[in-house]
Amino acid sequence: MVHIREQAIDQAMDDWASFIAQGAKQDPSTPIALVGLISHGDILAQRLIKRLAEQNCQARYGALDITLYRDDLSMQSIKPALRSTYLPFSTDGMKLILIDDVVYTGRTIRAALNAIFDYGRPAKVELHCLAERQGRELPIQPNFSAFRVTDEGADGVTVQLSEIDEQDSISY
Amino acid sequence: MTKRFIKNATWAADGSQIDILLEGSSNMSDGLGGSMPVSGSISPTGQNAPPADAEIIDATNQFILPALVDMHAKVSQPGKSSSLAIKLASEAARQGGIGSMLVMPTKSHSFDNHADLDSFRDAVKEQSCIHMCPAGHISIGGKGEQQAPYDTLAARGVRILSDAEHSPSNLLMLQRAMRYIAELGLCMAIRGDVAALSHMGSMHHSETSYKLGLHGIPACAEEIGIETLIRLAKDTKAKLHIQTVSTAEGVRILQRAGDSVSAEVALHHLIFSHEDIADYDTSFKTQPPLRDKSDREALLAAIKEGSIDCIVSDHTPCAPFAKKQDFHTAPQGMLGLDTFLPAIYSKLIKTDKLSWAEVIRACSSRPAEILYGHEAHDFIRPLILFNPNVSRSIEASDLPSRCLNSPFLGAELLGEVSFL
Amino acid sequence: MKPIKDLLTIGALSDADILSILDNAIAMKEIFTKSVKKVPVLKGKSVLTLFYEPSTRTRSSFEVAADRLSADITTFSVSTSSVVKGESVQDTIDTLMSMKMDYIIVRHKNSGIPGIIAKHSKAAVINAGDGSHAHPSQAFLDAFTIREKFGEVAGKRIIIIGDILHSRVARSTSLILKRLGAEVAYMGPGPLVPPTAHTGITRFTNWEQAFAWQPDVLYMLRVQNERMDAPFFPAGDYHKAFGVTTERLERIAGENLVIMHPGPVNRGVELCDEAMDYSNSLINTQVENGIAARMSILYHLSPQTKNHD
Repeated sequence: MVHIREQAIDQAMDDWASFIAQGAKQDPSTPIALVGLISHGDILAQRLIKRLAEQNCQARYGALDITLYRDDLSMQSIKPALRSTYLPFSTDGMKLILIDDVVYTGRTIRAALNAIFDYGRPAKVELHCLAERQGRELPIQPNFSAFRVTDEGADGVTVQLSEIDEQDSISY
Repeated sequence: MTKRFIKNATWAADGSQIDILLEGSSNMSDGLGGSMPVSGSISPTGQNAPPADAEIIDATNQFILPALVDMHAKVSQPGKSSSLAIKLASEAARQGGIGSMLVMPTKSHSFDNHADLDSFRDAVKEQSCIHMCPAGHISIGGKGEQQAPYDTLAARGVRILSDAEHSPSNLLMLQRAMRYIAELGLCMAIRGDVAALSHMGSMHHSETSYKLGLHGIPACAEEIGIETLIRLAKDTKAKLHIQTVSTAEGVRILQRAGDSVSAEVALHHLIFSHEDIADYDTSFKTQPPLRDKSDREALLAAIKEGSIDCIVSDHTPCAPFAKKQDFHTAPQGMLGLDTFLPAIYSKLIKTDKLSWAEVIRACSSRPAEILYGHEAHDFIRPLILFNPNVSRSIEASDLPSRCLNSPFLGAELLGEVSFL
Repeated sequence: MKPIKDLLTIGALSDADILSILDNAIAMKEIFTKSVKKVPVLKGKSVLTLFYEPSTRTRSSFEVAADRLSADITTFSVSTSSVVKGESVQDTIDTLMSMKMDYIIVRHKNSGIPGIIAKHSKAAVINAGDGSHAHPSQAFLDAFTIREKFGEVAGKRIIIIGDILHSRVARSTSLILKRLGAEVAYMGPGPLVPPTAHTGITRFTNWEQAFAWQPDVLYMLRVQNERMDAPFFPAGDYHKAFGVTTERLERIAGENLVIMHPGPVNRGVELCDEAMDYSNSLINTQVENGIAARMSILYHLSPQTKNHD
């Protein structure tokens, strides 16, 4: 079992925010929104927005619940609880950065892309994640990943964030 | 002549131990009252030795009692020929311990003319394994408009008149009919009902009817009907038998009326209440409807103290298809014959609600008196042996009626009847 | 929580089911504000509306709900004149089985019919109103509306006014509100209020008692003349005795009470004209929330149609 601890995650968040800020500088006319995938992605998006503000880079915050777009809903007899999607702005012409904790099969991202396009027509969509894991089932690649984990273990990757869990950690 | 010696049996009426020597066997009766080729002698256990040529039957822990007499059954079945329906009903009755019954007129057994009575008697002779006598119609076709030909019916042996589930609403017609039959010595068997108050409903007006969203039938619809019938009978001096009393207030009305009126209760009203309808179980849709538990207790007490004379099956076979409809649309009625004595034993005797003596009075002696007069012969009531040690979970194949509207389907009942 | 196939009555649901349907209705309502007002939850699933009783509102509410979940909707028209008493339901069930539907939404004038269809069907059956028995989707939209207005249902006082006897709405809505901790009272003409002592629902006979109870919501029921076989109360007195009259509306407005009604309103019977424009009337919100509640119900149920045979 490998553990990535708080300090390493904190460092990675700084790098992540810088990566976004740099992108923003290259295309200053397109407004940016960080859209976190519920749950964990939305918390990461909030952290990033705080760091970006310190670097004088403005980004709007959104949170997306992709449950209704999942491709395995009809196979579940107990339906997952729905959360509120929070997109208090028009996404038309914006650069949307989807924030997720772990990118693995790519199915969640497929659902998120379908969901986000039901809210409008963004100029550009990027995918950023905290941890990228092998095992893609769809042709989807993140534009940024803070960590690359190469686990073969059966337990998968667990991300904890102190806002809703006990601590910050990535375990695999 | 075969001889059978039954030893160590319990005489149900008083619990004494007896032996019985029987000669001949009872399997058939003829339609309107012929003799049964059985004769026998009863003695205290051990008093007489069995004859050498007798078959010995050990009846330890089994009960012997006279066969039951049911004053209220319908035998016709939609989609089945009259003779088949008679055969099935008689087999069901026999399984339920019933040796003789009064058959209510129905659409297919319209007992308002001599031809139908004759063909019914012929069919019973050929098909029935128990004694069946018909109740004549009060009105032509049971429509409540024109009196049936009472002299003709009486000449064919009819002693009881009834329009089955219909209580005549034309009181003038009924009053004149009562006056007429009073002089013929016939008896009217009628259910108390004011149709204007009851016709919209499909179950007892109660918490359950509120819960299920079904129109309720108020108890007073029956009670006003009973009161009206009793007044008319007093006025006309006609003999009156109140059918299927189902409410506590109905019992009090009967108590006030005294001995001039006889009355019956359907077995299901002594066992079930409206809660048993549960989730629209159409097998529990009856007429009158299943009432409150408090009514049930009052009816049991009335049987004990005699203000209600008889327990009847109110047997009503319904086509399985018809009972699969929704509760409001489904027809009323449940099977009663097939499980009659096992149900009485399991639900009333075993639970100490009624004694064997009370059951024999209400299900055999009193109905025999009402139906056949005080000279009721033994041939009407052959002896039956009841083995309470057999337990059976009732399945469709246990119902000779070949219908499914039994309240006991899937339930466990004790007891098995054999005719001696 | 166990998966459930059908929605027939409120009584058959667990607390977890009720809360889950109410919670998810919030997210369902948010879909209405998107530029694309659809989600692919029921893509490729077939929904049948089977209404034996005329109803424009409930039927279209269910159809919009199914449509927003991307289901395919079939309308099975049952002309009431051709319905041979009773027979049709059995025959229709056979027909429905052959159609391999995933969801069947039924309304019928006889209590218990949706239960019969549910028993014989692998499809998820939703009771859209049966006789005087139950109307669970209405109960959900009412509870959802009260929750949205007040934040929570518990502790609120709701008085249901009118023809309780024939009302499946009164039965289902009172059940769900009580389950959620509200206090419920009934008021109506004597012959139209059934015995309810066992349900713990208070009975009032006039407006003075009703006002004195300090209710939060006045829930007006439709006077359903079509369900009455014979007159139940003196003609012409209803509005004066039990309706929201112009004078009563002033007091209602003064006390800031909420008015609800399942629709359609008989103007001048349950409500005076002015009450239709009353600022604290939630009647239109109920219609909008009906769609969200019904989407949430469709989402919650689990048809057993994966292996149709």
